[in-house]
Amino acid sequence: MIRVDAAEWRSTIAGFHGSGCTLFGFLTGVDRGDSVEIIGRVAHPESIEAHLISTTIPAGGTLPSLNDLYLGASWHERETGEMFGITFAGLTDARPLLRRAQQGSPPLLKSSVLVARVVREWPGAAEASDDGRRGGNPSRRRQRPAGVPEGFMQDEADGRSAIGGT
Amino acid sequence: MISLALMEVAERRTPERAYRVAGAPALRIVVLDVGLACCALEVGAAITAGLLVPDVAGPGVPKGIDATVLLISGTVTDALAPGVLRAWDAIDGARHAVSFGACANTGGPYWDAPTVTKGIDQLLPVTVYVPGCPPRPEALIAGLLRLVDETATA
Amino acid sequence: MIPDEAHGVIGLQPSACTSCMICVRECPTWCIELESHTEEVSEPGARRPKTINVLDAFRIDFGLCMYCGICVDLCPFDALAWSPGFDHAASSAGGLVHGINELVNWWPATNPSPAD
Ligand code: SF4
Ligand code: SF4
Repeated sequence: MIRVDAAEWRSTIAGFHGSGCTLFGFLTGVDRGDSVEIIGRVAHPESIEAHLISTTIPAGGTLPSLNDLYLGASWHERETGEMFGITFAGLTDARPLLRRAQQGSPPLLKSSVLVARVVREWPGAAEASDDGRRGGNPSRRRQRPAGVPEGFMQDEADGRSAIGGT
Repeated sequence: MISLALMEVAERRTPERAYRVAGAPALRIVVLDVGLACCALEVGAAITAGLLVPDVAGPGVPKGIDATVLLISGTVTDALAPGVLRAWDAIDGARHAVSFGACANTGGPYWDAPTVTKGIDQLLPVTVYVPGCPPRPEALIAGLLRLVDETATA
Repeated sequence: MIPDEAHGVIGLQPSACTSCMICVRECPTWCIELESHTEEVSEPGARRPKTINVLDAFRIDFGLCMYCGICVDLCPFDALAWSPGFDHAASSAGGLVHGINELVNWWPATNPSPAD
């Protein structure tokens, strides 16, 4: 994988385009915490030449679009922008594909809490001893389902608005 | 664009799109398969396996419930939901919705996804729910036979 | 036509289930619900009575189940198994939820009971 600065993202890929890698493979993002890594793949249609290029931009940042070089990049940039909350400058159609208004933060950011996991009671929270003998092992911590951060479980969130907007 | 395709499906109620259910020759239904994900392949498998037989409309062909069945097989997202509703609204006469597979039933594997509709019964009345992820082709037939029972007693 | 090992529906052998909650906690769609209580049993010759879990209810919502088989694979006591049944359509979403009475009937004939 070729790692480049964001400033060289477009020129690097344009270089490969110019040397015959006119086939767009894919483009997606990876949430790295404070930043988002963008990974793209371009290939030569008639040889085995292919390149995986990666760059990193701050969360909520901007990257120049490739959709004038590769029409096929439009869909991926549209989706990646929507799912990771970043902008592709120059992308001709950046309308959201799946998210509708008020549907919370970009779904593929790890910081996005899945509301369904918070509002639904997790059946795994029950213990076999939940019949009044609770406290047999006071040091045992309540189990928490995957994907629900601390402070978001229903009983923890009681009396405060843990979920944005509710 | 996708919702247009659904409209097209809903409007094309030609006899070739009518099926009889193997093993229940009296049942004649028009299945509009709204195939949105992998479950749709099982519907195709039911047809190629001869479980759903294309109906040759003509004299002597027994008529059964003669209803249009909107078969929703696959994941419905909130973005796509209006298209499914339009397909439903475009059906004249007797109609039934069959929810085929976990996604259409409840959201299934995407139950926690913010963009997926948690069951098509939030959009339209469902007569029969077929469980599975995906359900096998035989489960589709069992579900359609169940539909006949449901409508006979209704 | 349908093989015995087909993933049609999940059967439960209640006598093998220890209410350990592993399947409930690992199920990706949270579609298993289990209720149990503990009882003390004294075994002849044992110095102290031991505490065991007694299964009261076990429900699978097959409307949500994604047929991944994680519960079947992870159950340490082989209390869950696949069964080839497919005729389980229902006229309501709630009709896809099945409890011990149905699940025990779906315990596959080809799978010997672990209790045997
Ligand atoms: S098969 Fe998967 S989704 Fe279904 S009950 Fe088991 S763990 Fe849950
Ligand atoms: S993993 Fe097996 S033993 Fe444990 S609760 Fe589930 S079915 Fe019972």
